[in-house]
Amino acid sequence: MFGLMYDAISFAAYGNSYGLGNINISPFDIIVTYVVAIICAIVVALLLRLPLLPSKPYRYSFDVSALYPTPIIAIGILSIFIILNYTFMYNGLVLAVIIGVLSALFVKYLFYAIFPKPLDDNAGEDINE
Amino acid sequence: MNEIIGIIIAAILCWLNFVIVDTYFGLPEQPGVKGASNIGNDIKKRGGDIAGGFFQGNVLCSPDASAGTLLASIGYLLLGIPGGIIAAFFVFIGNRLCADPGYAGTCGSLTATAIIFLTSFIGLTPEMFVVGMVIAILTIMGIDQTRASIVLGKIAKKFNRHARE
Repeated sequence: MFGLMYDAISFAAYGNSYGLGNINISPFDIIVTYVVAIICAIVVALLLRLPLLPSKPYRYSFDVSALYPTPIIAIGILSIFIILNYTFMYNGLVLAVIIGVLSALFVKYLFYAIFPKPLDDNAGEDINE
Repeated sequence: MNEIIGIIIAAILCWLNFVIVDTYFGLPEQPGVKGASNIGNDIKKRGGDIAGGFFQGNVLCSPDASAGTLLASIGYLLLGIPGGIIAAFFVFIGNRLCADPGYAGTCGSLTATAIIFLTSFIGLTPEMFVVGMVIAILTIMGIDQTRASIVLGKIAKKFNRHARE
């Protein structure tokens, strides 16, 4: 089993080096891609009319907003691409823009389908007594 | 750096990181789920502080800055700075599945990643942070819950985050 796993990993690394993503980008480029992904996610989320901040009280709000879950999702997914060494064209800038836009779209339209809010009927039922 | 000294410094840094982030985001104020409130009331019955009890219950019941710090150190150990950010992303998903907004967890892992990156220049390694975080959790949850809850209650009062009566 481990031999199969080793073969699979070395094959993936082979494809990574010579086929798919053959650019090793520098640390400066990685920082730039992160900044681009964060800015792109926030701007697209604001264009989709998400609020900038969650509703009050801030620390207990389950609402999505442009500043809180959107950039976290964007840089998390971008990190997965970076450690797999798959950075698309232009030192990863195109990938950062695509991930920023897609994460903003995800937060706007799909977020509550995957992470639903706790039920309002039972919230604080016998917790705060 | 000597391993023992490094582990002690890492434990202190981790303790400060997760207690400050968790207290700032209001873990001692109210229990997020019913189990946390049971733990808080039980600790109060044993002579502890209710805010510290809520803190311990919330730490137990959902991944907050404590789990964020631990997972960020493990991610940094495996994959470098992107690993810490992936840990923040996964902690966010875990928070949402545990009926928790997730501010404390994500902020805690991001600050832990920053701390590990900054202290790597003076010779602290991510392994020391993994061990240090386990020790830090042990001081909060493992050794003496009532006394730990009193200390946490004092910190919560200083941050103006004590439990609402």
